[in-house]
Amino acid sequence: MKKLLAIEWLKIKDYNAFKVIGILFILGVFLANYIVYSVNKNIVGEMGQAGKMISFKPYDFVNTWQTTSYVTGYILIIPALLLIILITNEFSFRTSRQNIIDGWSRNQFIHVKLMQAFLIAVASTILVMITGFLFGLFSGTAISFSRFSSIVFFFLKAFTYNTLAVFISVWVRKTGFAIGLYFIYLGAENIISQLLDILSIKLKKDGVGDFGNLGDLLPMNASDGLLAFPDNPVKSMAKMVLPSENTSLVFVFALMYLALFIWGSRMLFIKKNL
Amino acid sequence: MSVVSLRQLSKNYGKIQALQSVSFDVPQGSVYGILGPNGSGKTTLLSILMSILKPASGSYTLFDEEPHDAHRRRMGTLLETPNFYHYLSAIQNLKISAAIKGQRGTDIEKVLETVNLLQRKNSAFSTYSLGMKQRLAIASALLGNPEVLIFDEPTNGLDPVGIAEIRSLIKGLARQGKTIIMASHLLDEVEKVCTHVAILKQGNLITSGPVDDIFVTHDWVQVAAANMEALREKARGMAGLQDMAENEGYLELGFAAGTSKLADINRYFFENGIVLSQLQPKKKSLENKFFELTNGK
Repeated sequence: MKKLLAIEWLKIKDYNAFKVIGILFILGVFLANYIVYSVNKNIVGEMGQAGKMISFKPYDFVNTWQTTSYVTGYILIIPALLLIILITNEFSFRTSRQNIIDGWSRNQFIHVKLMQAFLIAVASTILVMITGFLFGLFSGTAISFSRFSSIVFFFLKAFTYNTLAVFISVWVRKTGFAIGLYFIYLGAENIISQLLDILSIKLKKDGVGDFGNLGDLLPMNASDGLLAFPDNPVKSMAKMVLPSENTSLVFVFALMYLALFIWGSRMLFIKKNL
Repeated sequence: MSVVSLRQLSKNYGKIQALQSVSFDVPQGSVYGILGPNGSGKTTLLSILMSILKPASGSYTLFDEEPHDAHRRRMGTLLETPNFYHYLSAIQNLKISAAIKGQRGTDIEKVLETVNLLQRKNSAFSTYSLGMKQRLAIASALLGNPEVLIFDEPTNGLDPVGIAEIRSLIKGLARQGKTIIMASHLLDEVEKVCTHVAILKQGNLITSGPVDDIFVTHDWVQVAAANMEALREKARGMAGLQDMAENEGYLELGFAAGTSKLADINRYFFENGIVLSQLQPKKKSLENKFFELTNGK
């Protein structure tokens, strides 16, 4: 695998889109978190007495891991986009064929792509850790690693976003079409999940039962649902009507979907003509 | 040893039958031409050998073994189109190909020189002309000096000088004892470089074997005289005559390729009391033979 990855590195190290999107993502992570950080500091801080009453600082230690993970989750489409471009390039340049002709097996080709999805998720996670740590330092509280688990959930979410990108790329093969489909899918699933969440609230209110957020059982929303904005006074009030969080079930679903995307990508690439 | 051996290979794209139970062997050291018009299944056949396509039925062996990824690393292949990363230079692209083949890429400059691309080695592939892309693909096939080369329409997109260069390159490789499999719709190309040929038409193998056996060529000579009866009579007795065809107003005499001498023929008939009113060599080209083969069945 090390050899295969070295070859993948030869393919991308001089690719401008790779550099641009990479830098964009790094800046994006800092910027997105900085916006949340400064909005919170300036707005909540300016609310005077009321602000102090609901005193809540999302980037204090303990909270910072969860907040950074949650906020960064919104721009995970950027590395996914990069993966879509890299993989669909192989189809449009027909290098997917040439790599096989030159002696790779189909397994090697798809495995190294999935490994790339994994490594990009790892890199995103490290970036989130650094960002969370720095913003924690800014907020001036004592360093703490409790509730670090949200970083694990972040990794799961990043990896899921990336494997969906691999799956769609291998499936449709055309860059524009794959990017379009990726966005449409995310959008459509979100709408369905919102509707399911509303249904869940209604079921709880009507006393039918508390089933958790049903929307969180959908593929992309499962790993989304594991990452929430940290508990805060406003959220605690809302919790009275919200269904309870069903973390372990959602976690199992998230892993299942991840496995499904990996399996699907392999199947498609190995079975289809190149 | 057979470098490639096909056993009743079939492939269909939906209802379209691209290959129908094709079998033949490519002996080591041969220059094997796969000849056929566009859409006859040449590329499909080579794609199956390269694991790009899966056959619907039938099987094949490479180097007398079950096909394996490692076999492809021992073969240099140009299949259908030059496939490279558009944003990378010739050198960067060949580094990737060499790495996949498990080579260190020490001969990259050398193969680029062979195909006359050295002066553009650092330009991005996307800036190349069609002919240069084709040359790069040939360079890539030459990496690591493989024993077997597969060229699918190797002269595609090349100018006349380029075509001549590539043909002499292929001949040179053949002289080094390499096995070369070459698909082409250009008969002339196959005639000039190949030792063996397989002819495909609409996915069917029409014939295969050594070029000399398949394109048995005759020198044809047209003769006519006032007395056609006597001419025919005397012609039968000629030494070296292999075939004779009768036409409206003249006879066609077939001799083994390269053996007919018009002066000798003229003298023979004159000495036998026949004055020829017509004596004309007729080139029965491979082209005709090819059309006969592909249209006849």
